[in-house]
Amino acid sequence: MTRHGCCGHRLWVNLRFDHAGFLSAFPSPATSQRKGLGDFFERVSMYPFHYQKANSVAQASAALARSGESRLLSGGMTLIPSLKHRLIQVDELIDISGIPGLSDIRMQGDQLWIGAGATHQQVAQHAQVRAFSTGLADLAGLIGDPQVRARGTLGGSVANNDPAADYPAAVLGLAASIVTSHREIAADDFFKGMFATALAPDEVIEGLRFAHPLKSAYAKFRHPATGYAMAGVFVAQTDAGAWRVAVTGATDGVSRWPEAEAAAGQSPADLRFVHDGVLDDIHAPAAYRTHLVSLLYAQAVTRLS
Amino acid sequence: MNARFTPSRQEDLPLITGQGRFTADHHYPGTLHAFVIRSMHAHARLTSIDLAAVRAYPGVRWVVTAQELKALGAGNIPHPITAKGPGGEDQKIALMPLLAEGTVRFVGQPVAMVFADSALVAQDAAELAVMEYEVLDAVTDPETATQPSALQLHEQVPRNLSVHFSSGDAALVEAAFQKAAHTSQLRVVSQRLMGVPMEPRAVVARHDAATGVTTVHTPHQGVLGMRNFLAMAAGVSPESLCVDANDVGGSFGLRGGAYTEHGVLVLATRHLGCPVAWTGSRSEIFLSDWHGRALILNGDIALDAAGHILAIRFKDCVDAGAYNCMMSTFIGTRNLSITMGGVYQVPALYMESEVVYTNTTPVSAYRGAGRPDIAYAIERLVDFAAHQHGFDPIALRRQNFIEASAFPYKTANGTTIDTCLSGKLLDRALAMSDYAGFEQRRAQALTRGKYRGIGLSTFLEASGAGTAPKDQALGEFQADGCLHVYGVTGPSGQGHSTSFARIIETALGWPADRVRYEAGNAKHKLLGNGTGGSRSLYGAGSAIVAMCHQMLESLKPLAAQALGVSADEVHFDKGLWTGPQHSISTAQLIDALPQAAQSSLSVMGEATSGSTFPNGCHVAEVEIDPDTGVTELIHYFAVDDLGQVISPQLVRGQVHGGVVQGWGQAFCEQVVYDAQGQLLTGSFMDYAMPRAGCVPHLRNETYEVRTQLNLLGSKGVGESGCTGSLPALANAVMSALRPYGIDQMDMPFTAPKIWMALQARI
Amino acid sequence: MRPISLTVNGHTHAVDVEDRTLLADLLRDQLHLTGTHVGCDTSQCGCCTVLMDGDAIKSCTVLAVQAEGAHITTIEGLAQGPDLHPIQAAFSQCHGLQCGFCTPGMIMATAGLLSHTPQPTEAQILEGLAGNLCRCTGYIHIVESVKLAAQTLQEKSA
Repeated sequence: MTRHGCCGHRLWVNLRFDHAGFLSAFPSPATSQRKGLGDFFERVSMYPFHYQKANSVAQASAALARSGESRLLSGGMTLIPSLKHRLIQVDELIDISGIPGLSDIRMQGDQLWIGAGATHQQVAQHAQVRAFSTGLADLAGLIGDPQVRARGTLGGSVANNDPAADYPAAVLGLAASIVTSHREIAADDFFKGMFATALAPDEVIEGLRFAHPLKSAYAKFRHPATGYAMAGVFVAQTDAGAWRVAVTGATDGVSRWPEAEAAAGQSPADLRFVHDGVLDDIHAPAAYRTHLVSLLYAQAVTRLS
Repeated sequence: MNARFTPSRQEDLPLITGQGRFTADHHYPGTLHAFVIRSMHAHARLTSIDLAAVRAYPGVRWVVTAQELKALGAGNIPHPITAKGPGGEDQKIALMPLLAEGTVRFVGQPVAMVFADSALVAQDAAELAVMEYEVLDAVTDPETATQPSALQLHEQVPRNLSVHFSSGDAALVEAAFQKAAHTSQLRVVSQRLMGVPMEPRAVVARHDAATGVTTVHTPHQGVLGMRNFLAMAAGVSPESLCVDANDVGGSFGLRGGAYTEHGVLVLATRHLGCPVAWTGSRSEIFLSDWHGRALILNGDIALDAAGHILAIRFKDCVDAGAYNCMMSTFIGTRNLSITMGGVYQVPALYMESEVVYTNTTPVSAYRGAGRPDIAYAIERLVDFAAHQHGFDPIALRRQNFIEASAFPYKTANGTTIDTCLSGKLLDRALAMSDYAGFEQRRAQALTRGKYRGIGLSTFLEASGAGTAPKDQALGEFQADGCLHVYGVTGPSGQGHSTSFARIIETALGWPADRVRYEAGNAKHKLLGNGTGGSRSLYGAGSAIVAMCHQMLESLKPLAAQALGVSADEVHFDKGLWTGPQHSISTAQLIDALPQAAQSSLSVMGEATSGSTFPNGCHVAEVEIDPDTGVTELIHYFAVDDLGQVISPQLVRGQVHGGVVQGWGQAFCEQVVYDAQGQLLTGSFMDYAMPRAGCVPHLRNETYEVRTQLNLLGSKGVGESGCTGSLPALANAVMSALRPYGIDQMDMPFTAPKIWMALQARI
Repeated sequence: MRPISLTVNGHTHAVDVEDRTLLADLLRDQLHLTGTHVGCDTSQCGCCTVLMDGDAIKSCTVLAVQAEGAHITTIEGLAQGPDLHPIQAAFSQCHGLQCGFCTPGMIMATAGLLSHTPQPTEAQILEGLAGNLCRCTGYIHIVESVKLAAQTLQEKSA
């Protein structure tokens, strides 16, 4: 379980009523302040923490390594609400938003580099991003709302790996490399399930490197309450001609859809999304989400450019 | 400020510049802040409560439970209106204590309150409370709550049945059904909703030991009503309370009375000798603001062979929540019966309702309070019957409208409707909406793969009768050059000040921008109704008209004097006093008077205004995408008879707001509890709200039929947007889905629900 | 407590805050700018929207310490000088407010939108308001207000 980001919204809404579930998902040490957590409501002021600004990735990583209860703060669009609801307790909050160069967006040869600190707004409006991948630029512009896009960052979203977030679909769909303080991780090896990634506790994402797709597109069905992806499908054809299809929102974590990839940019009528982790909740039954995935795949295919 | 800028409403300038004074904006030195400890269980016995660590926490000044409140003489949450059973039986009441006494009955029920130097400290301290609960089964389904197998929630209320109410003639109705050529039956659910005014509930209370008066800042719907309810809850005298007329960020019926925090904070400021404050977080408010609607309406209709309605019958299930708080009884009894025939001439009517308890947040009034719900049920039933028995839904309605010659029309269960010209409004709405061209549009939409539907509602509703014996308004010409008008009704966004100023300008000729309306200044001891039931304009407005008439009487001799003629030579029209040769405006006349003479013009006007019957015809046209189940609203037309319209722009705003709240109920809003009574829709993450663009545009017209029922001739607009939109939107969705074999569905018509229903038919 | 410095409505403030203090609370409680409102606790209602370095952001989801060195504009600072800002005037003229609680956030979100997109299409306006809830108006007059504001600002700059 990574210590980047935090538990994410849907989780804190559903889990707050499942005390046991909450504790099992976050095996942080119980403190005397936590006693009786199940007895009241509506904690909208945070437990105290110490805030510091990191000047470099190395400094941030060292701070994570030092303290067992520290978190990185990037845009804060997920972390701060979770802190407000006292769903997590941190000792140290390490703000990486001021690290020079961390929000750079630039070409690296024929690959696109997006720094971990780049906001969704910056990615959506960047001419090089749009020229590089329509799907990626469109996706960034569909995240949340304008206020969220002004603050939320690629690194924060990717590290958090909310199962309904949009970015993981692009990262997986474009086979990006996640470049960290320690190493480079391929997208296929990065996402490990709901709110889980391959990141080590002290590992800091510096940025993502994307290989140029021949074509790409993203189609999303917005959740009527959260604005997250009830389902989102990213389709891309790599430079080598291979197809990648990544699905987010509909299951417990972003995943590739091999049958759609085998369809090679076509939408055969009998293509069905089969996955044993499709979400079923008060907003939509599993059958609907399953259907959405096929529908969105077909929509994305028509938008490929 | 810009000299050229004239605000559209008097109220606007502070609100658009950040100078509004909402409750949480008030700061007093030395204020202690409160945090509410709430139950996490829907139904449990509180077996032990240990607050020692909370009390000992640095910065905590007072910790209060039901025990302390009892010693201070606190009351319960008010429940002002009761009902009787068919044989005159008293209602069984379960009042909600301010803080739980031994048993908690809904998730979020307040158990204790902590007062500390800051809200943070109070919250940090509260975490140290240790409560032990013996968890009991929860009752969450109102339809099975009265069965013998259901757990009894209150020991004084067997079968969880608070009251069984009825209205009308059961035998007459049954006889009509026996001889009917056609009958139809339809069960509809008006699902539990949250009102969600944007300003979270908050209370600031400050006691003045010298005067013995506690000043309270809180959102409310009228200071005098709130003062009385506050007094009941806290167990103090109303005269010892002063409720401030601060800005109110929406109310929609939820802020007519006192909650736990009000009562406790009044007692706390007296006990602690310093100001106290509490602001709810939104999630907390989802649990603890009264919920709305939560009605199950089973309707039957009987028709003769030609389509005349012979009888309408309803059997309704009313979920009161865990306790009787404020208005749930009123909603589930009177408000489901008084307009149960809708706009139709129905010889036999009968309804019965059961008000039952469940382990959920108590339910009270929310925009329309039962009247949109019953209009919804009737219009769905009429459409359903039309399609079931092969009648054209327009023709079936039209032939059953109350005939113009029948007014004033007394319904079969005793409501007298003064006028309701449904035929005229229907004609206008059909023309506006190009109803006749719909089938062509439906066919065209199908070529694009979309299912188009059109739905209409012809509806009326009864606006608030008022609980005060009359409405009074006091007008004083003061030294600042303004006419200050004092009344009871409290605004929460409706633009009362602006509307009342317009009424005065029309009646008196005194400039609207020199009128200042102040709600609820207790020193004048005015009688009147707070905001509620859409009656502020015609209720208080009529009192203001009466006040103006009296002022005109006083002004006449003064005008004569100013013009140098005798009184019978002076004629008043449109703000101008005209004599044989000269004229003078009301403003010129009064401005020229010395202050003492101006003061002597002060007068109180009063009027008694009961219910009015706003009515309308709304038409909605939708397109459903069968691939996603998403419904797009293509057109919405509203024709409303609101009587005399004072401010067309404000009326449009009220209709828009009501229609969009109706859209929210129709397409995305729903409160969901699980079987253990846990609230699953506890925040905006799960409770979907209408956002910009959901109703992209709305064409509305008013068709003025002035009512004789009040001096102003106006009917209430506040709730009619909801009343018209629920059935229009629902009938439009059913119109789109009916060709595919779907003839019944309940709100909210979410995309997954529609898609799944279509799939089931394939 | 930590000292920070930030510019709000053109004035630079040196204040002491806790690390966990939200920007919204700093503005309301310490700087007494109560025009910025708190309407929810899940960062979805937008009542707390202010401009931070030119962008519309939700001040309830930003720590005060994150605003160190930033330029903040709240509703109280939108108008320059004695005249109302065209957005404020438009909201009144088009009856884009009723109770007024969501209004500062709506106006500031509009300010953010129009600074990035001076001539927005209707779709762009709806997207620009996607982070703001209103319960009273039904949004129709709010959209009209934004259109009028955009037009007025265009005319002024022409």
